[in-house]
Amino acid sequence: MGAAFNVENLTFKYPSSGEDTIKGISFDVLEGEIFGLLGPSGAGKSTTQKILIKLLEDYRGTIKYFGRSLNSMDNSFYEEIGVGFEVPVHFSKLTALENMKFFSGFYKKTANIQELMERVGLWEYRDVKVGEFSKGMKVRLNFVRAMLNNPRVLFLDEVTNGLDPKNARIIKDMIAEYRADGGTVFLSTHLMNDVEQLCDRIAFCVNGRLVETSTPRELKLKYGKREVKVEYRENGTIASAVFPLDGIGFNDEFQKLLKSGKIETIHSGETSMEEIFIIVTGVELK
Amino acid sequence: MSILIKLAMGELKRLVRYKILPVSLATAIIWIVFFLFLSETEALEIAPLLIIVDAAAMSILLLGASHHLEKQEGTIRTMMVMPVSLGQILTAKTAASMVLALESAVVTSAALFFIHGITFNYGLLLLFVAIAGAAHAAIGFFISLRSRDFTYMLVLLMAYMFLFTIPSFLLNLGLIDVKYEWLLMLSPSHSASRLIISAVTGDFDLVLTTAGCLYLILLTAVLFKFTVYPMFKDNAARG
Ligand SMILES: Nc1ncnc2c1ncn2[C@@H]1O[C@H](COP(=O)(O)OP(=O)(O)OP(=O)(O)O)[C@@H](O)[C@H]1O
Ligand SMILES: [Mg+2]
Repeated sequence: MGAAFNVENLTFKYPSSGEDTIKGISFDVLEGEIFGLLGPSGAGKSTTQKILIKLLEDYRGTIKYFGRSLNSMDNSFYEEIGVGFEVPVHFSKLTALENMKFFSGFYKKTANIQELMERVGLWEYRDVKVGEFSKGMKVRLNFVRAMLNNPRVLFLDEVTNGLDPKNARIIKDMIAEYRADGGTVFLSTHLMNDVEQLCDRIAFCVNGRLVETSTPRELKLKYGKREVKVEYRENGTIASAVFPLDGIGFNDEFQKLLKSGKIETIHSGETSMEEIFIIVTGVELK
Repeated sequence: MSILIKLAMGELKRLVRYKILPVSLATAIIWIVFFLFLSETEALEIAPLLIIVDAAAMSILLLGASHHLEKQEGTIRTMMVMPVSLGQILTAKTAASMVLALESAVVTSAALFFIHGITFNYGLLLLFVAIAGAAHAAIGFFISLRSRDFTYMLVLLMAYMFLFTIPSFLLNLGLIDVKYEWLLMLSPSHSASRLIISAVTGDFDLVLTTAGCLYLILLTAVLFKFTVYPMFKDNAARG
């Protein structure tokens, strides 16, 4: 599989800020994968996305889009990519459907607006002005906007931020289906859930640098603790014990607990991505 | 449908939905009611002023309002990731703002004709209104891109009006000698009013009028090429 994006030694500074916001990062986004950029607020995720979609141009380093220099791409680049911004991007006095029809009118190939809006539960509100939408509805409409041109590469910035679990699930399913159909996704977020459930590879981004790029599985193997936590009843109260996963079949104490029949719960004590992030970067995700 | 037409139709639709076109139309019509109570000479004096205010100050105000609104709505950003060029976006916005200037010129001309039977060279008026409208759209962009929010934009607009309309006033009051009028032509609003008054009254100074036309066209081109065009994308991306 080729790379949708090759980014090498990318550095960027906003004219108004004193230091570089992006400090020499390198990564590849492979074709057909969901690549997650994970990091705390202010890490530079949205800035990186804006550079990749050619909104911010005065960067240093090289960026290649399917082998071609990003700088040399003309407007047809935008036929191929779909962008979900982290803030709402709609005309508030137009209805949801009017908004989607307007944006969709500029693309050569377009998705079925009704299908997309039905899927995210907005079709019945199609004739409501976006100004009257709730925050979550605007987030969902942003996602539809990003999918309007059946993009080859999809950029999503904080795509589930402000969504209830049910709607977040729907959007995540749609992203997974899009990937299954051959799409490539660049996803930036500070939410662990998005990353754990969706991403093929993750880059940890802190203060304009990438600290580690890997698959969720490798990260868990490398940094996760392998242990089992058992809760059991003893003298009318609940007690708990932790056992190492290795050689657990020969652990006498564990065996004794199992046979005692007093066990209430057993959990394999996997380290969460959130904990791994803190271990790797020394910074909390917030 | 070409991209430019789609963009311009979108702009016009929004002018209607955001109630800007209806309000501007209503204002023009209210002014016309006054024409009923004015003599022919008075009407002929007031009419150009109405057209100038719409082509100049209102153009700037409108562009500023819609620019800051769209920035707030985030829509400029999402338009920049469509297969549409920045030149096309700016052209469509300028065309939409010229429609407003033309609309007021048409309403005012119609009123002059139906109430007082006054006619003049309509083609010339439309041409001059278009030139003045485009120049002030460029100024509107320039001011909007340099202001953080709408309130600050209003302050800049006031400053602009003060700086560029006071000399015209002084000239009208006779406090500035007419032989220095060519200097005042440097003020876009003075050039604009010169053009529009000439068209409505038929009272021409060929040299000044031609100079005014060329100056406004040049100013439009320079503002777009060297300030509006380079600043617009940055402004949308960072906003
Ligand atoms: N227009 C701008 N001008 C100057 N500095 C900016 C601008 N936009 C962002 N920054 C700064 O760049 C840094 C990175 O911002 P960015 O929006 O990329 O972070 P992020 O990782 O997306 O954060 P979040 O999770 O809050 O969205 C921050 O320190 C921010 O203050
Ligand atoms: Mg962000």
